[in-house]
Amino acid sequence: MGSYLTRHLQVLFATLGDMARTPMASINTILIIAVTLLLPALLFVSIQTAKSLSGQWQGQPQFTVFLQKDISDGAAQLIFDEIQLHPKIELAELLSPDDALAEFRILAGRGGGNLDSELAFIGENPLPASIVVMPKSGFANAQHLQALEQELSQFDGIDSVRLDLAWTDRFNAMLNAFSRISVLLSALLFLALVLIVGNTIKLLIYNRRDEIEITKLVGGTNGFIRRPFLYYGSLFGLFGSVVSLVFLLIAASLVAKPFDQLAAAYQSSGFVHQPTLMEIGSLVLIGITLGWLSARWAVAQHLRKIKPS
Amino acid sequence: MIQLSQVSKRYPNGHEALKSVSLEIAQGEMVFVTGHSGAGKSTLFKLITRIERPTQGQVLVDGKNLGRLPERKIPALRREIGVIFQDHKLLMDRSVFDNVALPLIVLGMPRNEIAKRVRAALGKVGLHGKEKQLPITLSGGEQQRVGIARAVINRPSILLADEPTGNLDEDLSDEIMDIFADFNQVGVTVLIATHDLRQIERMGKRTLHLNEGALIEHG
Ligand SMILES: Nc1ncnc2c1ncn2[C@@H]1O[C@H](COP(=O)(O)OP(=O)(O)O)[C@@H](O)[C@H]1O
Ligand SMILES: [Mg+2]
Repeated sequence: MGSYLTRHLQVLFATLGDMARTPMASINTILIIAVTLLLPALLFVSIQTAKSLSGQWQGQPQFTVFLQKDISDGAAQLIFDEIQLHPKIELAELLSPDDALAEFRILAGRGGGNLDSELAFIGENPLPASIVVMPKSGFANAQHLQALEQELSQFDGIDSVRLDLAWTDRFNAMLNAFSRISVLLSALLFLALVLIVGNTIKLLIYNRRDEIEITKLVGGTNGFIRRPFLYYGSLFGLFGSVVSLVFLLIAASLVAKPFDQLAAAYQSSGFVHQPTLMEIGSLVLIGITLGWLSARWAVAQHLRKIKPS
Repeated sequence: MIQLSQVSKRYPNGHEALKSVSLEIAQGEMVFVTGHSGAGKSTLFKLITRIERPTQGQVLVDGKNLGRLPERKIPALRREIGVIFQDHKLLMDRSVFDNVALPLIVLGMPRNEIAKRVRAALGKVGLHGKEKQLPITLSGGEQQRVGIARAVINRPSILLADEPTGNLDEDLSDEIMDIFADFNQVGVTVLIATHDLRQIERMGKRTLHLNEGALIEHG
């Protein structure tokens, strides 16, 4: 067992030495791996960031409760009081028709003149009074929210209740689709990487043609002959993924500033997903595995063809 | 030790290099194979080492039928046979030590054991102290002896030498043949292909004559 380990270590160091002897070729291959791994890594970080964003939004769902149009201010206040005291509700805010109109003006932006002439045509403010309701965080899941929505819409004087989940659902559906596309894209990139690195290994194999022939002549097994190439592939993958991590850090620091500003605007911090140790380990493992696979593929294709003559 | 029964070898280009050759070489025997260039001497050696397969007939080496030998058992066969080539087939970018050590390295032998045996093998062929040199810095005769050291380092039971003295002068040829005779003395089966009639006469061993792929045995 000890000698088995020593043999592997010998091949490992011999391969490192060979790499150092042809640094340009090795650096090229390592850079190709790094860049190819960078894209899936960036996609992953983006998706994780978007997921945590969507999680933050879902944590604060809001209802808009529209009151009946003809209701008096006093009746509106009564409904508001009742809602405010509701045990499942954290916070509520009453918006009078005038408030609603003011908000609408802001949302409608500069087209104010036009809006005013339309209002003049209608002759009165068409917007109902409404109450914005924020449930307690313990009731923020879909089941409770729907029950609460049902309950509120039973109230006298309430016209309709709108639970604003639809767009987060849409966002999540899109995120899901994007995740799947990313997985597919990454798989294709990985395949391309295996082909490219496999081709590099193939060149290495043919560069050592004489050595392979002679090793076969003196009774070297396929396992023995293939070992240095598998180390080559795995080391390419290891170094490639480490360089790709460095690229990822640089990319993250480039986008950090605008994202921090955005985060500050949302009174939130740490918008951009910070890769965990697990995820970093996974990237390195993926790199090594892909490098090894490339070598395995190249060796299976070409080692057989080299025969002593 | 080596037995061929009605072996023919036709190369893919249609050339028939061996024609129904039958022969038997006993364990511990030393035999010369002679014949004109292109007679089929190297082809015979390639069949014994399973570099080529016969198109007809069967080749037995140490009781193993090479026609039925699966790919994965070829390394074990080749570890039993030391081969010496006219063109040496040395790795020119590796030291003498690394070249000679190769058959032991593929066995996974520990480094210190390898060093001991490489020094002993180099001593036996008169190349003491040349471990660190590159083969290019050596003369043709010395390179041939590096090849011999590599062939015998794993103590094979069969030694095949394909025109080992082709490019050497008489004294060097004598030295090399004597080395083979020494190995034969300790029980190694030795098969030497050569044009060198002077050596054949000097050694006085059984000689197989090949002519256009057909065997004409003498003595
Ligand atoms: N790989 C090959 N493909 C086709 N013909 C070959 C091949 N190897 C050898 N030959 C032919 O087979 C004949 C015998 O070759 P060889 O065994 O090398 O003879 P020798 O070693 O006696 O000179 C020659 O005519 C040679 O040209
Ligand atoms: Mg020949």
